[in-house]
Amino acid sequence: MDIKLLHIYPDLMNLYGSYANVTLLRRHLEDLGNQVTVDSLLPGEEADFAQYDFIFMGAGTERSQLAALSALLPLAPTLRAAAAADIAMLFAGTAMELLGKTVVDVQGQEHPALELGSFRSVQGSKRIVEDVLGSCSLFEAPVVGFMNKCALISGVETPLLNGCQLGFGNEAEGGPEGFRYRNVLGSELTGPLLVKNPLLLGAVIAAIYRRRGQALPEEIPDYPFEEQAYSVTVQQLRLRCQKP
Amino acid sequence: MRKLLAIVVCKLGRAVGKLIGRGSSLPGKYALKICPDILRRVTLPGTIIAVTGSNGKTSTVEMIAAILRADGKKVVYNEEGSNQIEGVTTLVLTHATLGGRVKADVLLIESDERYAAQSFRYFAPTHFVITNLYRDQLTRNGHPEWVFDSLKPAVTPASTLVLNADDPLSSCFAVGQPRVKWFGLERCAISSETPSGVYRDGAYCPLCKQPMEYDYYHYNQIGAYRCPHCGHHRPEPDFRVTALDLPGGTLTIDGAQTISLAFRSIYNVYNILAAYSVCVLTGTAPETAAGALSNYILKTGRMVRFTLGQHSGMLLTSKHENSVAYDTNLRYIRDCGEACSVLVIVDAISRKYFTGETSWLWDIDFDLLAYGHVKKILLSGRYANDLAVRFGCTAVDQDRIQVCPDIREAVEGLEAQGSEALFVVTCFSDKDKLLHLPAVHKEAQ
Repeated sequence: MDIKLLHIYPDLMNLYGSYANVTLLRRHLEDLGNQVTVDSLLPGEEADFAQYDFIFMGAGTERSQLAALSALLPLAPTLRAAAAADIAMLFAGTAMELLGKTVVDVQGQEHPALELGSFRSVQGSKRIVEDVLGSCSLFEAPVVGFMNKCALISGVETPLLNGCQLGFGNEAEGGPEGFRYRNVLGSELTGPLLVKNPLLLGAVIAAIYRRRGQALPEEIPDYPFEEQAYSVTVQQLRLRCQKP
Repeated sequence: MRKLLAIVVCKLGRAVGKLIGRGSSLPGKYALKICPDILRRVTLPGTIIAVTGSNGKTSTVEMIAAILRADGKKVVYNEEGSNQIEGVTTLVLTHATLGGRVKADVLLIESDERYAAQSFRYFAPTHFVITNLYRDQLTRNGHPEWVFDSLKPAVTPASTLVLNADDPLSSCFAVGQPRVKWFGLERCAISSETPSGVYRDGAYCPLCKQPMEYDYYHYNQIGAYRCPHCGHHRPEPDFRVTALDLPGGTLTIDGAQTISLAFRSIYNVYNILAAYSVCVLTGTAPETAAGALSNYILKTGRMVRFTLGQHSGMLLTSKHENSVAYDTNLRYIRDCGEACSVLVIVDAISRKYFTGETSWLWDIDFDLLAYGHVKKILLSGRYANDLAVRFGCTAVDQDRIQVCPDIREAVEGLEAQGSEALFVVTCFSDKDKLLHLPAVHKEAQ
């Protein structure tokens, strides 16, 4: 297949290896025999979201996040239409907050957001930085990642993680984390979430194939380093869970 | 009475701590419990220099102390690196009389960037050096703008700010401040028209978030930036490196003072320039400052030479979670040009706290090792597999990469084979896992 990926604001929402989600997804799709192109959308540019198979935005500082929101808000109706058409998306790190109805910044100012969900993010002066080990609503194996946010998120009805064995969720320690709507995934877990979680990467690939009406190839390549890296992190986080 | 008690407890605690080899923050912690505003009640020297920033604090402070001592001044500073308010309190009270007068010409403080606002709640430095603000320790700091906001309350008009003109983020501390002096590096052989590094933190203006333009880059986002939208730009430095010959190991400041570099790294250049600038501002003659800095070998140096079998080795200590620090060391390997092997170790991400966070590996520009003279790259430590995934997305010839999570096994394998130069890139938290191995023989500094 010819597969098109869109990376929204790659130099603005770029914290901590966010780009690697796109890099590894591209590689895996190519390994499956696809022709993959990656486009970048810059602030101020128009986008035809409907032509893409996957749309991604990564983590940014809170000031970058609000600049990104301001630039992307005029495109919200077409983004919502793309989501309703089952196009796969990942909004990782602080980008996840943009998927909700509103973002309230640390000064208390309310910013209308993209409204793919009805949740609300309220930013504060305390930063939540900690490892996360969570149970996913898409598969049984745990999801690993790192939380780096200053917002409490309320009103998510369909979270990505049902709960966190370790770490902070949307609005509580141990609580549900992230957001899911059709093939749209949102998670405040920062950085290369798909790299750290091979099954989540697989879920995105499956969603892309499903929407295109294609079956996944029977022969899927092995990625032993990715699997072992994931296993080591799960093991370490489980050990951490056992400590008082 | 509380003041006296706090001073006595701190002095006794420090004396006992030294005997039993404990850190230097605990006495200050007790003193602050006895007298929370003790730092307001003491009499400090007329010159108080503070140094903070993401990278280069410890080295810059050490060099400032060396210059000032060469200039005949009595300097006290937190040599052991306890750089939060407790450590600063220990430093101040340990060197104070029982009446609370600090017995020194200059109080020199390395300050943690996240907690500087606490440390300087009761007094302000006369000179406040901010070296830079980069991505560093995301598991503690969040991100650089979060650190900027945490540090900002510590920046007041009572201090002369000494800022890095070439850093678009930390230069924003000058906004609204009456007394600012700048240091910077002029366009030189290392400068480039195009950005280097994996990410572009200079792509957007930190003040208005509109696209920024650069006349040149020195490394990463450091260079000559200007924002066409709001006007934020690299200011003209008051102290400048006007000539730099990194391969030859010399730099010249303001066209007049030439300094020989004991370590030929761009980091060292900025640390030297920051130290020189603040010392000249506080009255040291330029010649004295340059003389003290020339060929200065840091006690806290992060470069260790060793031998392993037939290999001549160099440990380049980087900070995990700090991609700019890694990039600097990788650039050093790239520029060395001689046939070499490189061992990268990521085993414990921090020596102070637990985390399994490896996102920062993707911010490091490992393409700097995609050169013909780098014959072999060995990836080791608990997170060797994460490194392997990361290296799989670089331009490095994959046939040159080996993965061996067990550090001892990796080192013994290297010992048994070859005689090429060996560079080891790792963090404080992991370096002893190399240096304590019997096959590794550390050279005297």
